[in-house]
Amino acid sequence: MKRQDNGTPRYGFTTWQQTCLITSTLIGVGVLTLPRTSSSRLLEAGWMAPLVGSLGAYISIWMIAKLSRRFPGMTFVEYSPLVWASKESPKLGKLLSIPWIFVYLSFIYVATGMVSRIFGEVVVTSVLLNTPLEVIMITMFLLAFFLSLHDVDVVARVNEILFPLIIFPVLFIAIASFQKADWSYLFPLIRVSGKSIFEGAYEAVYSFSGFEIMLIFYAFTQHNSGKEKAGFVGILMTMVVYTLIVVAGITVFGYEELQRLTWPTLELVKTTQVPGLILERLESAFLAVWVAAVFTTVANAYYAVIYGLRQCFNKGMVFQRIASAFLFIPLFFIALIPQNIVEIFQISSYIGIGNLVLNLGVPTIYWIVLFLRGKAGIPKERKADG
Amino acid sequence: MSQFWNAWNKRKDRLRNQTLEQHANKSMDSVKDSPVTSVLEDNIVLIEQQFGKSDDLVVRRFQITTGKDAAVIFLDGMVDRNVISDFVIRSLTTENVTYLSPASNELETTNQLRQIVRNILSGNSVLFIDGSTEVYLINSRGWDRRSVMEPQTESVVRGPRDGFTETLSVNAALIRFRLKDPNLRVKHLIVGQRTQTDVFVMHIDGVAHPPIVEEVIRRIENLNLDAILETGYIEQMIQDHRYSPFPQIQNTERPDKIVANLLEGKVAILVDGTPFVLIAPAVLSQFYQSPEDYYERFYIASLIRFIRVISILIALLLPSLYIAFSSFHPEMIPSRLVIAMAAGRSTVPFPSLVEAMFMEIAIEILREASVRLPGPIGPTIGIVGALVVGEAAVSAGLVSPVMVIIVAVTTIGSFASPSYSAAIAIRMLRFPVMFMAGLFGLYGIMLFIIVMLVHLSSIKSFGVPYLSPISPLNLKGMRDLFLRFPHHLMKLRPSMFRVHDKIRMREDDQS
Repeated sequence: MKRQDNGTPRYGFTTWQQTCLITSTLIGVGVLTLPRTSSSRLLEAGWMAPLVGSLGAYISIWMIAKLSRRFPGMTFVEYSPLVWASKESPKLGKLLSIPWIFVYLSFIYVATGMVSRIFGEVVVTSVLLNTPLEVIMITMFLLAFFLSLHDVDVVARVNEILFPLIIFPVLFIAIASFQKADWSYLFPLIRVSGKSIFEGAYEAVYSFSGFEIMLIFYAFTQHNSGKEKAGFVGILMTMVVYTLIVVAGITVFGYEELQRLTWPTLELVKTTQVPGLILERLESAFLAVWVAAVFTTVANAYYAVIYGLRQCFNKGMVFQRIASAFLFIPLFFIALIPQNIVEIFQISSYIGIGNLVLNLGVPTIYWIVLFLRGKAGIPKERKADG
Repeated sequence: MSQFWNAWNKRKDRLRNQTLEQHANKSMDSVKDSPVTSVLEDNIVLIEQQFGKSDDLVVRRFQITTGKDAAVIFLDGMVDRNVISDFVIRSLTTENVTYLSPASNELETTNQLRQIVRNILSGNSVLFIDGSTEVYLINSRGWDRRSVMEPQTESVVRGPRDGFTETLSVNAALIRFRLKDPNLRVKHLIVGQRTQTDVFVMHIDGVAHPPIVEEVIRRIENLNLDAILETGYIEQMIQDHRYSPFPQIQNTERPDKIVANLLEGKVAILVDGTPFVLIAPAVLSQFYQSPEDYYERFYIASLIRFIRVISILIALLLPSLYIAFSSFHPEMIPSRLVIAMAAGRSTVPFPSLVEAMFMEIAIEILREASVRLPGPIGPTIGIVGALVVGEAAVSAGLVSPVMVIIVAVTTIGSFASPSYSAAIAIRMLRFPVMFMAGLFGLYGIMLFIIVMLVHLSSIKSFGVPYLSPISPLNLKGMRDLFLRFPHHLMKLRPSMFRVHDKIRMREDDQS
C-alpha cells in the first residue's frame, strides 16, 4: 500500500489517549467475573476488592511512568540496557536486560492468550452456541493482527474512539440494575478482618492487569509530563467502573447467589430491562459491544509484545507485520491448553498474582539499580516537544 | 537559388520529422520551446505542422494598414468570432495604426512556440505579423458555457442557489464574489500532459497551514496523468490512502460550502471543465454536515445533523441487524413482534441473509436504473418498481414484509447524507456487514465495526487524522461535530486543520 503521508508531523499520544489506552486495556474479560471473584472471600464487602486490589496497580503505574520519564521517548526494551549498564558497554546492558524483557513480553503474550480464551468461552456458551470456540478466538486474533499492521499512533486513536463504547455499556448495566437492587445485601458493612480484605483483594488483581503495556506505550507521548496523571486517572476510572459493577452484582443477587453464577455480569445484563421494550433481552447486545473491550485488551497487549520484539531485534514495520502474523499460531495453542473453565479461572488467578509481583517487582528493581548507579534523576522537560 | 531550395527542403524534412516525433509523443512537452521566426509563412507552416493540419485550425490572412502581411490563427468554435472580426481584423485593416495594438481587451506578446500552441489550444487567438518575431496572444475565448444554475446534487432549503459551472474562471469568480479577502490566494497549475487542464488551488493566506497547502500543490504537480477530465482524477490520485473506501477529499458544487471551508483553513482545488470542486483535507464529520446547518437556528440544525448521523448508521447497519436478530438473536426482539415476524417469514424458503441480499441487490438495480432512465419517467419507474416488486415479492412468499420495510428505510437513510461520495461508500460497505452478520450475528457486526474503526483511525488526510475531533480528542472542535453550537460560541476556527489565524470572531467585532 503506497502511502503519501510524508512530510506530515507525527502525532504523539495525548494525555487523554494514554488514559483511554490504560482504561480500555484494563477493562476486559475481568469485568464479567468480577462480582463473583471479589465477593468470594469478602462476602458482602466484595465491593472493597477493586478498591484494595487497585492499590498495587497505582504504585506500579507510578513507577512505570517515572521510569518512562527518566528515559523520555524510550520503551522498556530500549532503556533496559541503559539501566543495567553504561552507554559504553551496550553488549553487557543488552545481556543483562534480556531476561527482564523476555519475562515481561512472554508474560503479556500468555496473558493475551488467556484473555482471548476466556472471551471465546463466554461467546460460545452464551451467544453463539453453535460456533466453535476456535473460530471465535481466530476472529479475535485476526482483529488484533489487523491492528498490528498499523503504526503505533493508530493504536492510541483506536483506543480513544472505542473508549466510550467500552465504558458506557458497563456503566449502563451497573446503573440500570440498581432498579432491582436490594441495598440490605451490602450490610453489615465490615464483617471481615483486615487480613482477609487483602486476601480477598487478590481475586480482583487479575482484573487490574494489563497496564504494563505502558512500559512500551509511554514512549510515544506528546509531553514527558502527565504520564503519572494519565496512569492514575486510567486506573481510577477502571476502579470506579469495577466497584459499581460489583456493588450492582451484590445488591441484585447477594453474595451467596453470586458464587453460583459463572458470568455474574452477564446475569446482571439479563435482569436489565430497556425502557420502552425496544429490545427484550440485552445480553447479546451487551456481549457484542463488549467485544470492543476485549479487543482493546487483546490487541493492545499483543501490539506491545510485537513492538517490543521489533525493538529487540531492531527491525522495522515489515518485521512487525510478519511477526504479528506468525506469533498468533503459538498463541492459539497456548490459549487452548486449559481443559475447562475451572482451569482457566485458576490460571487467570495465577496470572493476576504473577502480574502483580512482576509489575511491582521489576520497576522496583529497576529503580533500585538506577539509584545505586546514581542515575535516577529525571531530565527536565524541554519546552519544545517533538 | 538551388541552395535556397536545398535549405528549404531540409527545413521541410526537419519539420516533418518533428511532426513524426510528435505522433509518437504528442503531449505538450514535445512541442519545442523555441522562438518563432520573423517570416510569416514559416510561422504559419510551423503552427500548422504542430496541429497536424487539423481542419478546425483557422488561419485568416490579411494586410494591415502599414502594408505588412498578417495572420490570425485560432481554433474554430473556441473563440468569439466577433472579437476576431471586429476588434482584431477590422481595427488592424481599417484604422491607421502606427503602434501595433489590436483593440482587444487582453493582449500579450511572446515569441515562444510552446506558449503560442498552448494559447491556441486554450481558445486564444494568435496574431502573426510579417517581419516581426513578436507574436500577439489575444484573449478571445468564447465558447458556449452553461450558466450558473442550482446545484443538482446538494440542494438545500435555505441557502444560496448558485452552483459551480464547468468554467474555471466563473467558478473562481463565484468564490471571490463571496470572499472579498485580498488574502485569498490562487495558484494556477496545468495538469495532464494531453488535456493541459487548468487547475486552481485556492487557500486563504494566514488561515491555512502553509505545509498543507504546499503538500496539496506538490501532490498535484507530481501527477503525471495524461488526462484530467474531472476532479475525481485528482481526488483519487492525491488522497493519502488510495485503497480506502472512504473519501478523504470532499467534493462539492456549492460555492458557499467552499468559502466556509476555506475559512476553516482548508484548500480548494478547482478544475476546469467540471462543476465539482475539491476540499482538502477532509475529515469524516464533514461528510454529514450541510451548509444549511449553519443557516438555520442551532437547535434545529443540531437536531437535523443528528438525524443524518442516525440515518447513515441505519443505511450501514439496518439490514445486517435484521439478519443478526432474526437468525441469531430472536430472543432480543419483543415477543409479539417476533411472532409477527415469524409469521411473515413462514413462507420464505431462504435464510434471512439470502433474503436480505435478494432485496438489497434488487433495490440497488432499481436505484442505478432510475439514474439512467430518461428524465421524467425515472422517478415514476423507481416508485412503481419498488412498490410493485416489493408487494409482489411479499405476496409470492419470496421475502417477508419486514424485509421490505427494512430495505426501504435503508435506502431512504442512505439518501439523507448530504455528500454523495460518502453515501456511496456506506452503500457499498452495507454488503460486507450483511455477510458478517450472516456468519456471526451481532458479534460479526461488531467485528466489522472494529475493523472499520481501526481503518478510519489509521487514515489521515494531508496529515489530519480522519476521525478528528473525536480522536485525537479536541473538545473545542466537538462543538461542531454532532451538535452545531450557536455561532457566538464558536469563536475559534477548528484547530485540527492547524489554522494560523485561530480566531473567527474577535471580541470587539461582537455587537
